[in-house]
Amino acid sequence: MSTSILSYRTRGWLRMSVEKQDTLLKMAVLSLAAILSFSCRLFSVLRFESVIHEFDPYFNYRTTKFLAEEGFYSFHNWFDDRAWYPLGRIIGGTIYPGLMVTSASIYHILNWLHITIDVRNVCVFLAPFFSSLTTIVTYHLAKELKSPGAGLVAAVMIAIVPGYISRSVAGSYDNEGIAIFCMLLTYYMWIKAVKTGTLFWSTMAALAYFYMVSSWGGYVFLINIIPLHVLILMITGRFSHRVYVAYSTLYVIGTILSMQISFVGFQPVSTSEHMGAFGVFGLCQIHAFVDYVRSRLNKAQFEVLFRAVISTVAATGVLVLVMLTAMGKIAPWTGRFYSLLDPSYAKNNIPIIASVSEHQPTAWSSFYFDLQMLTFMFPVGLYFCFSNLTDENIFIILYGVLSIYFAGVMVRLMLVLAPVMCILSGIAVSSMLSTYMKQIDEVKTEKKKTKFEGNYFMRSEIATFFVCVMSVFLVMYTLHCTWVTSEAYSSPSIVLSARGHDGSRIIFDDFREAYYWLRHNTPQDAKVMSWWDYGYQITAMANRTILVDNNTWNNTHISRVGQAMASTEDKAYEIMQELDVDYVLVIFGGLTGYSSDDINKFLWMVRIGGSTEKGTHIKEHDYYTPAGEFRVDKEGSPTLLNCLMYKMCYYRFGQVYTEGGKPPGYDRVRNVEIGNKDFELDVLEEAYTTEHWIVRIYKVKDLPNRGA
Amino acid sequence: MCALTTIHRGSMRLLVCLVVAVTGVVAAQDGINKDLINKKIERKLDISSQLVKVTQKITLENGGPAPVRAFLVTLTQVEKDKLSYMNVQSGSSVLKVSEAQVAEHRDLAFFRVDLRDPLQPGKTANVEVEMIMTQLLEPYPAYIQQGEKQLVRYTGNHYVLTPYTTTTQTTTVTLPSPNIESYSRLKPTTHTDTSITYGSYEGVAGFTVDPMTIHYENNSPFLMVSKLERIIEVSHWGNIAVEETLDVLHTGAKLKGPFSRYDYQREHNSYSSIKSFKTIIPASAKDVYYRDEIGNISTSHMRIQDDAVELDLRPRFPLFGGWKTHYKIGYNVPSYEYLYSSGDEYILKMRILDHVFDDVTIDELKLTVILPEGVRNVAFETPYPMERLPDTVHYTYLDTVGRPVVSVTKRNLVESHIQDFTLHYKFPAILMLQEPLLVVIAFFILFLTVILYVRLDLTLSKDDATEAKMRVSSHCEQVHTHHEKRARLYEKLEEEIQKLKSSKDVTHSQTATKKIQGSIRDETQAISDLSAKIRLDNAEYAEKVAELQKLDKTLRESVVQQLTNVEKLVAGKMSKQQYMDAEAPLHKKKEEALEKIKVLLGNI
Repeated sequence: MSTSILSYRTRGWLRMSVEKQDTLLKMAVLSLAAILSFSCRLFSVLRFESVIHEFDPYFNYRTTKFLAEEGFYSFHNWFDDRAWYPLGRIIGGTIYPGLMVTSASIYHILNWLHITIDVRNVCVFLAPFFSSLTTIVTYHLAKELKSPGAGLVAAVMIAIVPGYISRSVAGSYDNEGIAIFCMLLTYYMWIKAVKTGTLFWSTMAALAYFYMVSSWGGYVFLINIIPLHVLILMITGRFSHRVYVAYSTLYVIGTILSMQISFVGFQPVSTSEHMGAFGVFGLCQIHAFVDYVRSRLNKAQFEVLFRAVISTVAATGVLVLVMLTAMGKIAPWTGRFYSLLDPSYAKNNIPIIASVSEHQPTAWSSFYFDLQMLTFMFPVGLYFCFSNLTDENIFIILYGVLSIYFAGVMVRLMLVLAPVMCILSGIAVSSMLSTYMKQIDEVKTEKKKTKFEGNYFMRSEIATFFVCVMSVFLVMYTLHCTWVTSEAYSSPSIVLSARGHDGSRIIFDDFREAYYWLRHNTPQDAKVMSWWDYGYQITAMANRTILVDNNTWNNTHISRVGQAMASTEDKAYEIMQELDVDYVLVIFGGLTGYSSDDINKFLWMVRIGGSTEKGTHIKEHDYYTPAGEFRVDKEGSPTLLNCLMYKMCYYRFGQVYTEGGKPPGYDRVRNVEIGNKDFELDVLEEAYTTEHWIVRIYKVKDLPNRGA
Repeated sequence: MCALTTIHRGSMRLLVCLVVAVTGVVAAQDGINKDLINKKIERKLDISSQLVKVTQKITLENGGPAPVRAFLVTLTQVEKDKLSYMNVQSGSSVLKVSEAQVAEHRDLAFFRVDLRDPLQPGKTANVEVEMIMTQLLEPYPAYIQQGEKQLVRYTGNHYVLTPYTTTTQTTTVTLPSPNIESYSRLKPTTHTDTSITYGSYEGVAGFTVDPMTIHYENNSPFLMVSKLERIIEVSHWGNIAVEETLDVLHTGAKLKGPFSRYDYQREHNSYSSIKSFKTIIPASAKDVYYRDEIGNISTSHMRIQDDAVELDLRPRFPLFGGWKTHYKIGYNVPSYEYLYSSGDEYILKMRILDHVFDDVTIDELKLTVILPEGVRNVAFETPYPMERLPDTVHYTYLDTVGRPVVSVTKRNLVESHIQDFTLHYKFPAILMLQEPLLVVIAFFILFLTVILYVRLDLTLSKDDATEAKMRVSSHCEQVHTHHEKRARLYEKLEEEIQKLKSSKDVTHSQTATKKIQGSIRDETQAISDLSAKIRLDNAEYAEKVAELQKLDKTLRESVVQQLTNVEKLVAGKMSKQQYMDAEAPLHKKKEEALEKIKVLLGNI
């Protein structure tokens, strides 16, 4: 009597059809990726606190606060007299308002729902939130390009890719944070529009493009790559009614919408950067017309007509373009674009562009650092795209190739490259995995049948091995990304931290100390002079008027500040009186070893100072030793040792012992004993110096009484 | 008096001491009782901190024929303007003080103190007057350099200002250090280490004034809270959140010339500057934060002690004379320590203000209490008069109608004002459910919307192919359900067979098995019906269902066969050996059929 009772039931507790399981799996992976992309950006907030951590975003934060409090119209008409004294700045007309409008809307909606979160927290968490959205859009984009599987892999990859995280951690509140989302959204809509050829998707693409224009200057990349895609489609003979509808709609609606942003204004019809799009729009019409005519005429007639029209149109087009450029109707390309095409352009011509570290060409190592396995998965993805060439694959190939060039030119554009790397790698990984996974499966189920078809040696084993290797790669990628995020991209710049001798964490909170001192202990209308890097921070945190800031729109003004810093005290006093300066602020790292201080930036001040007419007396070589070195010790050039910047940084530093066994006045950044020690300031007096001497603030003395 | 009665009639009873509002009080007219004599006055003047603390021990004597009910305390107008706190005690009982005016002395300020028991002729009474005045010490010089010591000047009266003749009086002045620049002398005057004694003086007539000046070194922190906003947010879920926003100003001698960090770090001689101060908050405080507009202030320490939490707050920068800063501290305390209830009635008893630092002076205090949503009948009682501001409504997480907010304000406070307020209100317990329900409803609506959205088909044209697909999939789903039911019935049938084996009760078993077999037939019929329906849309799946039915038939047949075998065995119509032989192939058949069914169902 040992017959056991058989189980008649066929399903477990989770009763689901295959489609439902599929949906559940996709949703689960996607939502986990979205949550992951949000949470892995929180390192800096968890380690420090929920504040804006970077320098530049302080401006965005300040404007968002203004928008949230004062409303859109006063924001639009805002003339900021706190910056660029005495010129001021029209904020409403000189920024991309997308970021501010987005956060202000989120803030208002949440508060309308009585979720009383303040503007600062909305700003801090906006970038991680938008990264989650980017993850979802990436899934859809890659799904359109290849398959849902590729979409999932791409989504998971973009969730943690360091190249994107570097610009979107919590507390870095910058345009790029939402711009990448907008860009991918536009691409997705565009691909949809090309695939379907419907007005609906084309219009959606135009709206997404409008959002992109409103949020980042990088929209120019979009308005060049989409026409280029259309052009390539035309050349390869893939031009169709779908493409015609998609592009014509996108261009017309998109251009009209983009002109609503006051910073963009009439640029889409007047500058060279946008001319490509316009030209392709015209070509589209011609191509469609030609197709129409061709369908009505016989071949010989058509040939004649075609030649005649083409030559006339080309000739007039070129002529008109040249004339307009000569007459100044079409602005020539701006400096940043020249430097995109010719990396050495900026260095030779515009010091202010070259002085920004993120405008430097990218080092090879940083490709690997920011993208890891994506760098070698990228060509594989390209291969898979080429092997199955479709309209949309052409687009992603184009995007990949162009952005890898741009990323090589400028570090900043790594950001544009990261998404396409993820998508192409997603396609590659997913294609390879699905190929090999099938091999493992088939051998198992059809063992008997395929026994004699063994055209592959050890098919299952090799497939298993390959899948294992791929998994190892993916795990390595995850580990690398987490490590990079945690170590490199999550340390705030407003708070510096170091390890003490006993391993405890020492915090240098000097920036905020100084800005807070300015905020509470100087007159409301005090004018502060500093190098432009600290402009946004001073206006936002110290709420004081500044002369120049990170919006480097007026080179002459910045140059004037550079001249003041590079001159002797007397000359500088004249400039400071002319500019009505009350306080001067310098960043000095000699005591703590903080290397990005003003002495290390000083050569840029000299170069920028000397680049304008008024500063011709400032020559870079005066600040070098005869041997051509930049030194602050006794060997240093006397011009350097007596200029205002030197004096402000090293005032009374000559008496300080910084390191054991070294003489007083030993600079820990440049590792030398300073050359000019015991001097007094005539026209300035020390107003405040922070605990670790990182920020030093000087008060400009009044003119002496006559006869005194 | 008016002010007192109009604000809180009810709180009058609770008055334990009285602090006089600075202005706006219409005082009662009083005359000076010539019969009263101060037999003895011992005055103590403590000017060692930024405050001026005056204690007068007065022995009053009634020299006239009639009993005396009240006496007057006199101050100069300047002193009255700076007066923050006044308390008059006789023994341990606190006496009622009210502002008064005397027609002949318009330039002076008077307070009438009502004695507890009328002073009978010829008798004496001892009273103790305690006063605290702020901002009375004047930095002199008003501007000093970083390394200089802070000197202040006190200007007063060698005699106690009183309307009555004083028989004998002494004044003792307490100083922070022995360093005195100069002091006025009126014999007999003695100066020992940190104190100066004036007197005793005999037979001083009323209103006698002899200017006293003491110019001395005072490096104690001259720190004033120019504005303190204290917000208490009560939650009935067990937490009370306290947040204080403070504007702090150094009111000592202002810094002249540069601030040198080098000297500051090297010499430690910045006498009057303030590097840090201690704030004591309740022992049960949790989640303490210390921040300002630009983020967390990283330079603070917290020490948890038995009876309190001590915060060592260091502003971002040291405070020199004339420098100011602004910060927030906040913490949570459990509500059971401060909130008392009986049914729906609640009483909140908390401090009007808490300790900020020692010898604090607060120019303006605003206390705001945010109560839970739905609170009614709010009654606010304070131990001393405060100006009640209009009630407002505050909205935060999960609020619908908003939380009632009660706020009061008062100027010029010192440590002696750290006392409890009482807030009575009514809160129906049922409202506790409001917030969880709100969340539940919100999620319910969300899910409902998703469910509707997924099922909603707004397309204009009919898509036959998709619809057929959906129909098939729903039918297949039903096939699965029916099959599952059938499988359960088979299991029951097997159980019956086992039971039969042990009980050998054929008749009972037969009724049971008949019933089960009937149900199995019903399910099979249902699947066949579904199969017919599927055939209309998708022949392939219908085929599979038909195959399923076929397999099921073999399965059923073998089970029924088993049943009959067992019946036979029980009835003795079959030998055990025969039964065993028949059983084995049947079992195998069943297993095979089941395996196939599983594969088949996986594909449907």
